[in-house]
Amino acid sequence: MTQAARPVLRRWTRHEYERLIDHGFLDEDDPIELLDGLLLVKEPQHSAHRTAVLLVAKALERAFGEGWFVQTQSPIVLGDRSEPEPDVCVVRGSPRDYVDAHPTRPALVVEVARSGLRLARGRKAAAYARARIADYWIVNLVDRVLEAHREPARPGPARRHWGYAAIETLGADATITPLSAPSAGIRVADLLP
Amino acid sequence: MRVMASYETRTRRFSRAEYERLIDLGVFQPGEAIELIGGELMVAEPQGAAHYTAIRKSAKALEAAFGPGWEVRTEGPIGLDEDSEPEPDVAVVPGSPEDYSRAHPSRPVLTVEVSESSLAVDRQRKGSLYARAGLADYWVLNLVDRVLEVYREPVPDPAGPFGWRYASREVFDASAWVTPLAVPAASIAVSRLLP
Repeated sequence: MTQAARPVLRRWTRHEYERLIDHGFLDEDDPIELLDGLLLVKEPQHSAHRTAVLLVAKALERAFGEGWFVQTQSPIVLGDRSEPEPDVCVVRGSPRDYVDAHPTRPALVVEVARSGLRLARGRKAAAYARARIADYWIVNLVDRVLEAHREPARPGPARRHWGYAAIETLGADATITPLSAPSAGIRVADLLP
Repeated sequence: MRVMASYETRTRRFSRAEYERLIDLGVFQPGEAIELIGGELMVAEPQGAAHYTAIRKSAKALEAAFGPGWEVRTEGPIGLDEDSEPEPDVAVVPGSPEDYSRAHPSRPVLTVEVSESSLAVDRQRKGSLYARAGLADYWVLNLVDRVLEVYREPVPDPAGPFGWRYASREVFDASAWVTPLAVPAASIAVSRLLP
């Protein structure tokens, strides 16, 4: 018999999440995001976090160029129960393409994490992998490295949840190339605060 | 400086006032079994035949033991504290149903949870929550081992999920008899509670 020491939390749908916002339970500025049905409290925005977000956004704008845009801490839709707000993501097209609906398939998602490292590697990686986000990076402020998560993999004998089969850790002196911008090279040092 | 990455996943907490407003607004699905426990919305254990039978048997046995002047509620909300509105399987409160037409009762004299897959949660998390609220008599009807666990004497305990626990725990098997704290003259056979 399995026994959950933690309670089973009620999961919210995106529609319910929007009703919570409409009825004033949540504010647009609340540090909350819907991930896999849970209303997660986001990592507090300390200055190093904010600096990293700005550095990543700037580097990705340069690397991707025309035909893409970079959004920071804005919602994307990953299914019925997930509407996260990744620190940075790269989306095809221009902002006007998403007047009526949030982007659903970013080419690259980046989270900056210090206290939220476990969340970024665990629950968030699972949600992004399940949504088949091909390229997911974690700017790890604890160890000052970049973790590139690739090859979304379904649960199986090797893993209990969705996750990434290929995870590469890159130090400050390394260079990384986004999967969707194969001719670009970004120095990891340029992403770290 | 190296910082430990010890961040636990935290979810948005709701107050009891917010929870009751969500219910009034019809945000939840009809018939959804949820409880507000320390600000978290918990999904209740799905009820099998044994679970439901245990609830009905316990309610009948407690009605007989307590007699007039007491109200035995099954799966009814308890306005426990600012951020908790649990729905214990059985709760005994003073008075009659109309006494609670404007507000849920907040201090049952006896609270019973029937546990199968929720055993760990009922013992630790709910035990700590009920102890914090000062509920004097908390019973876990353990269907896995077919015993009744009786928890009494709430005491502060920083290690508890809600900072409290019960100092006294007694376990009764099907052949034993148990007496609720609030009705010292009554005696109930544990076999009358078990499915």
